[in-house]
Amino acid sequence: MPFELIVGAWVATGLTLLIFTFLYRDNPLFKLAEHLYVGVSVGYIIVKTYDTVIVHLVVKPIVENGEVALLIPVAIGMLMLARYVPKAAWMSRYAFALIVGMGAGLAIPRTISSFILKQIEDTVRPLLSLTGTDGITFSMDVLNPSSNLNAIIILLGVSSVLFYFFFSIEHSGVGKAVARTGIIFLMISFGAAFGYTVMARMSLLIGRLTDLIEFSDASYGRPTIWLLILIVGALFMLARRRTDHPPDSQ
Amino acid sequence: MTFSERMLQIDRRIIFLVIGLCTLLPLLYPVGLPIKITSEVRGVYDYIELLPEHSVFLLSIDFDPASKPELYPQAIAILRHAFRKKLRVITMTLWVSGTGMADQLVTQVAKEMEKEYGKDYVFLGWSPGGQAVIINMGQDLYSAFPSDYGGKPTKDLPVLDSVRNLKDVTYMVSLGAGKPGVEEWYVFGKDKYKFEMGGGCTGVMAPGLYPLLRSGQINGLIGGLRGAAEYESLIGQKGKAVAGMDAQSATHFAIIVLVIMCNAFYFSLRQQRR
Repeated sequence: MPFELIVGAWVATGLTLLIFTFLYRDNPLFKLAEHLYVGVSVGYIIVKTYDTVIVHLVVKPIVENGEVALLIPVAIGMLMLARYVPKAAWMSRYAFALIVGMGAGLAIPRTISSFILKQIEDTVRPLLSLTGTDGITFSMDVLNPSSNLNAIIILLGVSSVLFYFFFSIEHSGVGKAVARTGIIFLMISFGAAFGYTVMARMSLLIGRLTDLIEFSDASYGRPTIWLLILIVGALFMLARRRTDHPPDSQ
Repeated sequence: MTFSERMLQIDRRIIFLVIGLCTLLPLLYPVGLPIKITSEVRGVYDYIELLPEHSVFLLSIDFDPASKPELYPQAIAILRHAFRKKLRVITMTLWVSGTGMADQLVTQVAKEMEKEYGKDYVFLGWSPGGQAVIINMGQDLYSAFPSDYGGKPTKDLPVLDSVRNLKDVTYMVSLGAGKPGVEEWYVFGKDKYKFEMGGGCTGVMAPGLYPLLRSGQINGLIGGLRGAAEYESLIGQKGKAVAGMDAQSATHFAIIVLVIMCNAFYFSLRQQRR
């Protein structure tokens, strides 16, 4: 087993167990791992961004290939830094104006096309199907997304939820029934989203536990077992220290 | 204090312990519960399966180590499938924090499948701009990525032969854990440059992407660890995702039981107070 893999296993195991200590209670070991995570993440992003953007996309093309046109975006980007100089802060507005203008110009038509027009097109589906020889048919298959029954369910769901968020009419009588139907559809949607969220969080736990089981192997030096003993011991010491010197209530 | 009151005020660490055990025990002693293949995962698999050899396949690894347990197995399964089908594989990432992990992932699977860098596959790395990178690739791939992750000029790579921009991509899959991810690839990529695409995402994101799937805007969706397990089953190479499915089922069962118990105690307490 390569040495760097063994070191990596010990570091990963230690940090995972330190983070898990939060399940017991907030403690200095958790704080240590949390701060390490934030520091390493930010450091990594800064280094990668510097290497990719400054070195590979700006300096090298200008110095090695003479692509001096790149100085224009560099200059616009530098204008952003003018915000830190109060007297020159107005210059940064040109850079922001360019970014906001371009961003909005690129995003608005594409977003309308993708998320509004395409979705409306998919929502407005025929409730009955016309087939060549059989005439009008109605498919009842709930598992088939394009069945006529599902088209009716979608029509009911979209209409009732839209009505629920229509506040110019009092929700009473028939309106109340429609709004209540909308709430039911919303609740089902929230339930599905929450179910998927639970699944995702459990997957993360499974991922960490899978690694901890793998790292309990003798080829890695059993970091899971040794570090678990060490961390439980440290938590015990911290708990005793807390009992001996309770934090000042004021 | 009644039993219901005591149960509703139970120390939350006991619940953590129950969930922990429900996860750990099936991982140590797997049962091998059956995995049903859903049509959304099959959509991605079938499309790759039907691609002719040397078709251009783009995989965007748009996640970082925080989503590794869910999306890493998906990426491994898709790459294994693409390499087995002898596709020309272009990989990249839109997440700067995922660059090192993506490089490790692609190198590991390529080595396992005995593929040659530059000829069979390439890792372009990361380029700044998010959605702007997609638009840039749609116009000129070499302008968005003048060099690959290792600094080699992309124009000289045989794997990119006859590939000028996104219009030359036969199929594309984005494995996204957020923004930029699947939605951005659809909005600024597929919708504009008209290539077929599928998606993979974390469980949290899956309900939000189902409308795109239903309307045919993407042709398949691999959702979370469960989706990865389905894909592993489809390619016949069971890995970490399949191994985790027993634990997933056990924890879901435990949570359902806890929810039912909590409601039962709540209503029992309410009845007592009346």
